[in-house]
Parts: sequence; C-alpha cells; structure tokens
Amino acid sequence: MEVFFRSKNNVTESGILKVLSQVMDPDLGKDIVTLGFIKNLKIEESKVTFSVELTTPACPVKEDLKKQCEDLVRGLEGVESVEVTMTAQVRQAYVAPSKLALPGVKNVIAIASGKGGVGKSTVTANLAVALAKAGAKVGLMDADIYGPSIPLMFGITDKPMMEGDTVIPVEKHGVRIISMGFFIPEDQPVVWRGPMVHGALTQFLTQVKWGDLDYLLIDMPPGTGDAQLTISQNAPLSGAVIVTTPQQVSLIDARKGLKMFQSVQVPVLGVVENMSGFVFGRGGGQKLAEESGVPFLGSIPIDPRVVESGDSGTPVVESFSSSESGNAFRTLASRVAAELSIAHARYHTPVAKDLSMEWQS
Amino acid sequence: MSLIPVPIQLHQKGPQTLGISWSDGVESEYAVRDLRLNCRCAHCVDEWTAEKRLDPATVPMDVRPKKIEPVGRYAIRFVWSDGHDTGIYTFDLLRKLANPN
Repeated sequence: MEVFFRSKNNVTESGILKVLSQVMDPDLGKDIVTLGFIKNLKIEESKVTFSVELTTPACPVKEDLKKQCEDLVRGLEGVESVEVTMTAQVRQAYVAPSKLALPGVKNVIAIASGKGGVGKSTVTANLAVALAKAGAKVGLMDADIYGPSIPLMFGITDKPMMEGDTVIPVEKHGVRIISMGFFIPEDQPVVWRGPMVHGALTQFLTQVKWGDLDYLLIDMPPGTGDAQLTISQNAPLSGAVIVTTPQQVSLIDARKGLKMFQSVQVPVLGVVENMSGFVFGRGGGQKLAEESGVPFLGSIPIDPRVVESGDSGTPVVESFSSSESGNAFRTLASRVAAELSIAHARYHTPVAKDLSMEWQS
Repeated sequence: MSLIPVPIQLHQKGPQTLGISWSDGVESEYAVRDLRLNCRCAHCVDEWTAEKRLDPATVPMDVRPKKIEPVGRYAIRFVWSDGHDTGIYTFDLLRKLANPN
C-alpha cells in the first residue's frame, strides 16, 4: 500500500519550496526561498532538480547550503533523487546614476588605508585574484597615483592597448588591470597638483573599457585628501574595505579613512588586519572594527612569502595557494563578497533614474 | 534591518517647486528657495561655529536651480540662478527638510 501512495503526485513544487524555506542564508538573515535563490525547479516523477543562485561565487558556505538543500528535499516522501546546482549572480549595487557610472560594472569596492605602508596593495592584489579564482569577473584599478605598485605585483611589463580614446585593461592572473604605473616611467617621481589628480582619476573612471565585471577593486592612494574625495564623490562606490596593521599609529589613520567613507555614505564593508603576528602584535584591527560598529573581516598573518610573491609578480594566493596566507586571503574574499551582499540588502532595489536634471524656466 | 531610502527620481513640479520620489514610496515636495536658504556649504554656514552666514535678504525671491547633479551615492548638488553652486545636499538632509517632524 505504501508504495502505491508514493506516486508522482506527492511531490509538489509548493512542498519542495516549503522544506527549502528552512534553509537560511547566514549573511542575509533570510531563507533562500524568500530571497528568490531557487531557480529552474523541475520535478520529473521522483527526480527533483533545481539550482540555487547565490549573490556571489565566493560564498563561504556554498557547500553547506547545497548539502542542506539536498538532505531536506531527499527527505520528502516520493523523492528518490535530488540534483542541486549552485550558481551565482552578483547583484548590481545601488548607485545614483551619473555621467561617471561604469556600465557593465556591478560593484565598485575601494580598498583604503589611512596610512601608507600597511600592505594595502598586497591585500588588494590577493583579494582580486582570490575573487577571480572563485569564478567572479574582476577588475583592479590602481589609483595609487603616488606609488603605483600593482604592475610589479602582477608582473606586468606590457603597456595597455588603446582603442581610440579608451584604454583596454591588461589581463593577468584572471584580473583586468589598469594602473598609473603603465603610463609613467618607473624611476620618475610623480608630482601631482590637486587638479591634475582629479583629472587623472576621472580619466581612469571614464576612459577605461572594463567590459562586464562583477567586482572592480580600487587600490586607493593612502590618506584622506583630494584623491580619496574625488573617488568617493565621483566613482559609483558600492563599499569600502579598510586595511590596517595592528600598530596604534596605523589604527589612528585607519579610523580617519573609515570616517571619511561613512561621511559620504559609502558602506564600510569592514576592517582587515594585515601583517598580524608576533612582530607587530594582533587584535588592533578587530578593536577598531568593534569601536566603529563595522564588521571585522579577518587577519592576514605576517609571512615573508607574501612579500616575495608580490615582488616576483605572482600574488601569494596563486603562488602558495594552500599556505596560511593563501587561505587567509581566500577567507577574506568570501567575507568581502558576503558583506557586500548584506550592504545591498540594506538599500532598496536599484530602480533609480538619472538624478541629473536641467531646470525649465 | 533598516532600509536607507534613496531618491529614485527628481521632478520639476512648478517654476519654483521640486519633487522627489523616494525608494520607499515617499513623495516629497520642496520650495526651491527654502532649499537655497538651507545650503550647508562653508560660504553659507560657518565651518567652525556652525553659525549661519547666509543673509536670506541676499537671496532673490525668484531664485531657481539651473541644473541639478548627483554627487556620489549620498547627495545632489544644485547650480543656482544666483550663481551659487557649492552646496551639497545629502539625501539625509533632503529627507529632514521634507519631514520637519
């Protein structure tokens, strides 16, 4: 008798969605059915297939979510096999449209530090490669016009190609890259005056052909001056990551950077503590995050291989992928992507029209 | 979790009236001269003492925006018919001016 009742009619879409609504996205704090993650649900007799569309390919709990979905649906009466495909569709950030909007770029993330020398470019380079390796389309804009170090860290010696007035980024280790270092000789100091800084950065934002990107990381120049303000007022930033070392002197400046982004309503995705360990100490980054009410994204251990890899043109997350530092950068990438999804959820859907207007008199 | 409302569209509702549609469904309306008088820039409000330096008598009764531009993800800027263009109006300020309570 039991076999008779386990007919295909027992397996319904609503029954499946009902059990799946027990699966929570830990970052967004809602269940995956309410979030609209379940796609292509198909029921063929006793076989169920569907995909779960996450908000980032770098989701830290992807495997765990997959297993939960499989177990729950397999537990339903009448279901004999379950096939779950995990996909990701990175959400477009809300930005007030402007002439500097970057078409095709879903999220722009500024990586900043108050103080120089904290390893901001190293963190940016590894974060970019880690996101790309997770399957995301990633671009990197080296806006550190005073000391561009991204070309060295990626081992790029080629000049970017031009297409009319636009520049085509150079692709290396899966990341599309543009840097002021491509345009100035390495041994010449750059003396920039305010208006020149503004002009150069605006060109970077308007004349580079990025193509479709899930994430564009901007390696910001250190400090909280003209260059930082130009980018935060003109680039359609979806969030900022603050890099600090555990030392007090670096933390004080990191706090200033953090405050600057908050004052222009750019969500601070969190604080990263770089060079964490016995040389400089640890814990300062976490304390700063707690005091400021922003997430702590993790610590990157002090490790000579990080520096060597940077100098040799292959970021550590590629050259020593399974090292402690490699793991730390991968975890960081997941955290950043997750915090970005959380920040999106706090804003309304991006239906904004262009806010520019000419007044009719 | 609180949702932060953002403007989704600006409308000119009259010769001196601006309307804003917000992402949370709120519709607000402003007399543009009141906006001009509420400018928070350093010329109009002292940066150190926060004392108001703008004398309302110097602002023409028929002042109008010439154009409006977005600033980052947090504000809009007005270029006014009296030549003033340094004020940045944050979304937060625009919400406060719309709902004085």
